Amino acid sequence: MKTRLRAPLPVAIAIGFGLVVLLGYFFGENADGQLTTLGILRDYFLQGAVVVGGVALLVGVFNLASVHAQKIKRGEGAVYSFITLLALALTLLVGFYDLTMTYIQGAPGLYWTRWIFENIQLPVETSLMAVLLVSLTFAATRLLSRRLDLMSGVFVAFVLVLLITAIPVISTRVGLLAEVREWILSVPAVGGARGILLGVALGIVATGIRILTGADRPYGG
Amino acid sequence: MTISGLLGFIFILVFFGLMMLFLASGHEQPDQHLRRIAAFGKLRRAIGLAVEAGSRLHVSIGRGGVVGPQSAAAFVGLSMLEQLAGSASTGDKPPVATAGDGTLAILAQDTMRATYKSIGLGDQFEMTSGQVTGLTPFSYAAGVLPLVSDNKTGASILAGHFGSEVALITDAGERSDNLTLAGTDSLPGQAVLYATAHEPLIGEELYAGGAYLNAGPMHEASLRTQDAFRWALVTVILFGTVAALFGLDETISQIIGNLL
Repeated sequence: MKTRLRAPLPVAIAIGFGLVVLLGYFFGENADGQLTTLGILRDYFLQGAVVVGGVALLVGVFNLASVHAQKIKRGEGAVYSFITLLALALTLLVGFYDLTMTYIQGAPGLYWTRWIFENIQLPVETSLMAVLLVSLTFAATRLLSRRLDLMSGVFVAFVLVLLITAIPVISTRVGLLAEVREWILSVPAVGGARGILLGVALGIVATGIRILTGADRPYGG
Repeated sequence: MTISGLLGFIFILVFFGLMMLFLASGHEQPDQHLRRIAAFGKLRRAIGLAVEAGSRLHVSIGRGGVVGPQSAAAFVGLSMLEQLAGSASTGDKPPVATAGDGTLAILAQDTMRATYKSIGLGDQFEMTSGQVTGLTPFSYAAGVLPLVSDNKTGASILAGHFGSEVALITDAGERSDNLTLAGTDSLPGQAVLYATAHEPLIGEELYAGGAYLNAGPMHEASLRTQDAFRWALVTVILFGTVAALFGLDETISQIIGNLL
């Protein structure tokens, strides 16, 4: 295999840490359930990864802000970007205020932060969920016109049967429909889901091994 | 050391061994073992069209993060991004990557920077090529919508962890008539994509992305290994079904229990 390394040091570090965590996963505990050295190292590295992930969240917020600042500079959807940045700044200020008050009063409060989540974030996300319902219904009706094949027909037929049998009046009056619904949910749906999950699991293992061997380097190495 | 740990380790070793075997045996005709997946054929055509028309490719690597099993889908997305960035780099508009996680956005930027540098186009890289569009599922989807709807975007490739909120993105792709190729590791997400995406990737098809985009022989070797293991699993499941049919399942469970 010809492997072209752009940065050998990050690759070596990534492979080394990855191997320790992998071995720690299999041999991290002895027969008595106590942590071995590999297990301790695994936990230590994973805790480090969680901390780095937390810092990356902050980096993500800065990235979001810089992208919108550039959009304002270029005049592309400047109004929406300005509102986004304003909302970000206000939420940060409110968060700092709440944290300061919590520190001064000595008891967890976060009243205004919670207010923002309950009265702005939650309604907006709920309305997006409602839009999602409309989008999905519309997409299901378009499916057969876009992709007319056997599997699309089966998909739409199963969706229709499950939607109709989900109506309590129908399922209680026609017992057979309730049984059909139960059979669909417990036999073909579960079987299909297990099959897909097995494929996904094998894909995850293959991806992990490719990264461990340095064939995939998602860190630009 | 526990028995389950040892078995897991042996599984990984056998998987790795088979990958190496297929890697060694698959050099002559690298593409001969790949079955046809229409989505990747259309993606290749979309890349060519995007370069010709001066439009950009949008690659979304989801909101899975790098810690946990959801990271594998994001890493596949990054592999695809690397190949797409290289293929579409000659176009007027460089590809844009979006993520719903800070770490993934950094990795996307790093992947694109390294790809451009390796093909001598390091000066084309911009930090906004890898963007965080939102940190919750719906804010992420809402942030991606303007990019997908933009008439300068030729195609959108969604490869990573998405939930049902992905329907908002694929719907925007449908309305703007841009090709949407999408795959996720989440079951509800896959059901939604089957109904809404132009080209859905179901199950393990997402993990085959690298092999179909010529990311290297190791991708094809891993795909063949997955196929071999899938056949082995099918055999075991069929054997179990037949054993249960003849009432032998409890005896077999006892024998395996005694062995372990």
